Amino acid sequence: MPETTSLPGQTHFVAPSSETPLQATGMVDTSAPPEGQWKEAWKVLRRNWLFWVSAILLLFILVVVCFPGLFTGVDPRQSMLSKSLQGPQSGHPFGFDKQGYDVYSRVVYGARASVVVGLLTTVIVTVIGLFTGAVAGFFGRWVDALVSRIADIFFAIPLLLAAIVGLSALNNVWPDRGYWGGVLAVVFALAAFGWPQVTRIARGAVLEIRGLEFVDASRAIGASKWRNLFSHIIPNSLAPVIVTATVSLGVYIVAEATLSFLGIGLPPSIVSWGNDIAAAQSQVRSGDNLHVLFAPAGALAVTVLSFMLLGDAVRDALDPKARK
Amino acid sequence: MWRYIARRLLQTIPVVLGSTLLIYAMVFLQPGDPIVALFGEKPVSEATRAQLMAQYNLDQPFIVQWLLFLKGALVGDFGIAYSGQPVSELIARALPVTFQLAVMALIFEAVLGVVAGFYAGLRRGKIFDSTMLVVSLIVIAVPIFVLGFMMQLVFGIQLQWVPATVGSNTSFTNMILPALVLGLVSFAYVLRLTRTSVIENLTADHVRTARAHGVPDGMVNRRHVLRNSMIPVVTFLGADLGALMAGAVVTEGIFNINGIGNLAYQAILRGENPTVVSVVTVMVIIYVVTSLLVDLLYAVLDPRIRYA
Repeated sequence: MPETTSLPGQTHFVAPSSETPLQATGMVDTSAPPEGQWKEAWKVLRRNWLFWVSAILLLFILVVVCFPGLFTGVDPRQSMLSKSLQGPQSGHPFGFDKQGYDVYSRVVYGARASVVVGLLTTVIVTVIGLFTGAVAGFFGRWVDALVSRIADIFFAIPLLLAAIVGLSALNNVWPDRGYWGGVLAVVFALAAFGWPQVTRIARGAVLEIRGLEFVDASRAIGASKWRNLFSHIIPNSLAPVIVTATVSLGVYIVAEATLSFLGIGLPPSIVSWGNDIAAAQSQVRSGDNLHVLFAPAGALAVTVLSFMLLGDAVRDALDPKARK
Repeated sequence: MWRYIARRLLQTIPVVLGSTLLIYAMVFLQPGDPIVALFGEKPVSEATRAQLMAQYNLDQPFIVQWLLFLKGALVGDFGIAYSGQPVSELIARALPVTFQLAVMALIFEAVLGVVAGFYAGLRRGKIFDSTMLVVSLIVIAVPIFVLGFMMQLVFGIQLQWVPATVGSNTSFTNMILPALVLGLVSFAYVLRLTRTSVIENLTADHVRTARAHGVPDGMVNRRHVLRNSMIPVVTFLGADLGALMAGAVVTEGIFNINGIGNLAYQAILRGENPTVVSVVTVMVIIYVVTSLLVDLLYAVLDPRIRYA
């Protein structure tokens, strides 16, 4: 044990540095590569129960979207008029709507259109937004001014109104477009006016990353502009874009339902939650038959909620400042 | 500051031009005969057709049509709707209704959202906070037309507290329910924004200093926490006025209100092209002006921000 010395008048002692935990800094294995932000985020994410709840729900919804036949043997377009508006009964847990369609079966089959619109729109919007935002933020000057003004032009028209106008234009140039055509038309209309939001977020993130030292270092050792952009700047500014994408997925699902409710989204021949909710409104006028409205609306709400909770969890995991 | 305003105003010029051109192209660059939209299936004589084509500038090239529209729009003349009324008259009748609705919704979401968010933030993790978070999630996840329809059913039809539809009588009491429905989603956002902001400010140095000075809790919360938490909330509310007016399509449809959203929607369905482009142009201008005002408001509220 090292000897402790005291000066005249000293009333407490400071332990020699060999006895303090400061020595533990030497215990860290510096030869191991540092963990990236994704691995770090995953560590936080897997301890969050909200993440698991929403992830399992979304996985289940994805299975329903891909294989609706696994969950019901009833055809969603088979009309049994004799059972019009009857309540829940054996084999038909959500009862029947006015046309005598099985409500449960329609909820199961309606998942596909609603979720595909949300997913596809988000993918398109994210890809366009990420690219334009990154280019604007990275190159700056006139490129930034040009991209930002074009984004502003699309952003200034309210999304819902723009989508309505766009869809009615598409109806004229592209009538009779079948199931996937109908879905794609809604996707195009929403994506055409949704991308500037991602552009703004991506541009802000890129501007922040561009000024960091490791980018200077990379440039100093001779990396080209494009290499810098694609292997350093874009991967490091992905976090806020991914969070926005997860949350806006829910927003686009609601937007599809709203457009269908207004009678201009998916054609009525396509089974979707939005169409079923819209149809239910006239059948529930008096306050009876609420099952016809609650089943598709509930399914839609649970899906949107799952995406929003997932977005929240991912944001908490990716943002070190938000961790407590 | 003035240089900043001048630059922002200059930047809005290409945005307004581009947006109107975009919407104009979507509406007018379509196959099909616009005169058919006007007359339906009835036969039209050549002379009438030629006169109508000239009246609506349809005989001009597309770009000239758009320029003529802009020239009129600059002085508030949006041309004649296919129904024969001037479009500016239709808009002048519908805009105040939507403005009233949006302002009522804004007041509702601001007052309730800030109060609820403030108390939820002060009592973080307690029962009121958790309840409010669940309520806000439900409000955001359930489509507004389902909520609106349910509220119409309960308060308008079953309890009969308020009229189920508004129609032409836009008195304050008639508009309460539609305003609540319109402001519901933003209420959830205001609540969450205020809550986060309050929680952040509760641990700020100046708040701790104020407490250490012996300032009573209530005064610290009101003067220091709440006031500093208002900056993001006020800017959100400013930008929301335009969003509410544009988003009123659904609410106006449910409650049968003759506002700007309904006007646009009906015009789109009927192929009333001059009305569609005019309403969207008005919406774009409202958006551009409010976002400029919000940016300036930001600088007024937060002295750290100075625009060069």
